[in-house]
Amino acid sequence: MNSAPLPPLDLRIATAMTSRVLSAPASRVWPRLRRDHAGLAGFGLVGLFGLIALGAALGLAGQDWSIASGGRWEPASTMHWFGTNVLGQDIFQRSIHSVRLAFEIGLIVALASTAIGTLTGALAGWHADSWADDAVVFVTGVLDSIPFYLFVAAVAFALKGNPWSMHIAMVATFWTTTSRLIRAEVMRLKQRDFVQAALAMGMPVSLVLSRHVVPNTIHILLAQAAIVFVAAIKSEVILSFLGLGVQNGVSWGLMLAESTQEVLAGQFNNLLAASIPLFLLLFGFNLMVDALQNALDPRQELG
Amino acid sequence: MLGYLLRKLLHSLLLILGVTLVSFALMVYFGPDQTYKLLGKSASTEHIQEIRQQLGYDRPFIRRYGEYLGDLFTLQLGASNSNGEAVSDILKRTLPVTLALLVPGFILGNVLGVALGLLAAWHRNRWIDRIISSASIAGMSTSFLIIIIVLQVVLCTPYGLNLFPARGWQVTGLASYLNYVTVPSLSLVLITLGYNTRFFRAIFLEESGREHIRAARAFGASPAQLMGRHVLKNSLPPLLTRVLFSIPLVIVSGSLLLETYFGIPGMGKITFDAITNGDQPVLKAVVGLTAIMFVMVQALAGMSYRLIDPRVS
Repeated sequence: MNSAPLPPLDLRIATAMTSRVLSAPASRVWPRLRRDHAGLAGFGLVGLFGLIALGAALGLAGQDWSIASGGRWEPASTMHWFGTNVLGQDIFQRSIHSVRLAFEIGLIVALASTAIGTLTGALAGWHADSWADDAVVFVTGVLDSIPFYLFVAAVAFALKGNPWSMHIAMVATFWTTTSRLIRAEVMRLKQRDFVQAALAMGMPVSLVLSRHVVPNTIHILLAQAAIVFVAAIKSEVILSFLGLGVQNGVSWGLMLAESTQEVLAGQFNNLLAASIPLFLLLFGFNLMVDALQNALDPRQELG
Repeated sequence: MLGYLLRKLLHSLLLILGVTLVSFALMVYFGPDQTYKLLGKSASTEHIQEIRQQLGYDRPFIRRYGEYLGDLFTLQLGASNSNGEAVSDILKRTLPVTLALLVPGFILGNVLGVALGLLAAWHRNRWIDRIISSASIAGMSTSFLIIIIVLQVVLCTPYGLNLFPARGWQVTGLASYLNYVTVPSLSLVLITLGYNTRFFRAIFLEESGREHIRAARAFGASPAQLMGRHVLKNSLPPLLTRVLFSIPLVIVSGSLLLETYFGIPGMGKITFDAITNGDQPVLKAVVGLTAIMFVMVQALAGMSYRLIDPRVS
């Protein structure tokens, strides 16, 4: 990075103009959110689980998940709140530790899918009807035509042994939706006056895209990232059940996979300890997505 | 019209090429190597070479893919690597099972979704809408695996009602069919209902906000007439698109999950076993057929628009 010349004056005016356009919806977001009680409850739930995940990551909670601290299938007690599993490990500790893994998977997959989806979507939408656009549309069309679990199972299997195989498989399937939404929105935004004005003033395309176009897709990006987060956590459960998910460690998916055999013998502790927090976290996220979509959509009027 | 059909055909062919290419690369080329499974212990180098040649591992990617496409279009599906059964026989055996397993739940999930979506859209923002909307969010927030496990515990074990068998598929007649299909079907309904209801409610809401609905209401149309004749009928294109597009995904993904869990010998179980065993002929057939099915569904959706919606020409 060497010293970039100062942008010309008209360019700075254009930036100031558009940043006002941008900040207007932002000032309307909070009043809308505040009246959305279900949405606030969602934010609360997600925040609570985020704190638990942070606690587990910092070594404050759920650290004894792998220690055999009791006998096989002990019932719930004050020592072991959800009893112990077949190896005598504390099920509650395992569930708490799983929160960290759920956030890790959700965050990594959501961030990577959103980044790839934004880049490809913005590229395709800006250069609509070019070969790059055709290529992006074709690839998303192809990936969407392969049934999800078949694709994920195949990627996970092809990369078996790689600790990131599950993440890669999910990102490879989840980025397409973000890309398609961003492409449509960028095509729409490109026609708008403030974008045309910035271009007419000689602002480089990369700057127009990064300052004026992509920031205006934030309502799609945030909601879509949260949707991917939910999808990633749900997919982890299925993949772990199929034996293609988490290899070392503990996750709600592995606990549920364990419980598929146990419930037939009347052992419900793994099922309860995994499904209750899993449901609460996903429910919180879904409420949050709804609230975000309502509050951030610039086309939505107040009231 | 002819130009439209030609463009559609070209698009479909390209899509089939793309889907088979990606799937072939993933599942067959990078899939598990079967050489050592088919060989006994301490095999000679020549023997290894021979097996690899038989399985086609020694040929370049492009040639293997080309041969695969040729086989697919001439419908030469070969025989399974694992037990030597002809792939066409395997498909004949497993496809009816999968259809019998999934069709009732698929139809019920969509019909219920449309009904609940209409009900919620009609009572927008009143308590009945709130209950339906919250319930569908709750449904979307529940892992598929939890739905299956809980239904199994409640309906199939002595810890619940113990009405149905917990696993398996020994179907000989209608009674045994109902006995084995009920719990997987209910699982499929609960898995899809939350998503379906939410989607259908949204498209019905969008339609009922339009001017012609307001006009019809002003002319005294009854709620049933409004929702049935005006809202539902005008929402058919997006509704049908969703239903059509979900067919291949539900058949493959749904059967994969349900059949693996309940131990049902259908397409999903065969496919999953083929992925983990590297049974190339089976995988190639499933991958190719899925791609063709998906592309056909897309073409069908495009054509049904033209039939339903006079605005599309």
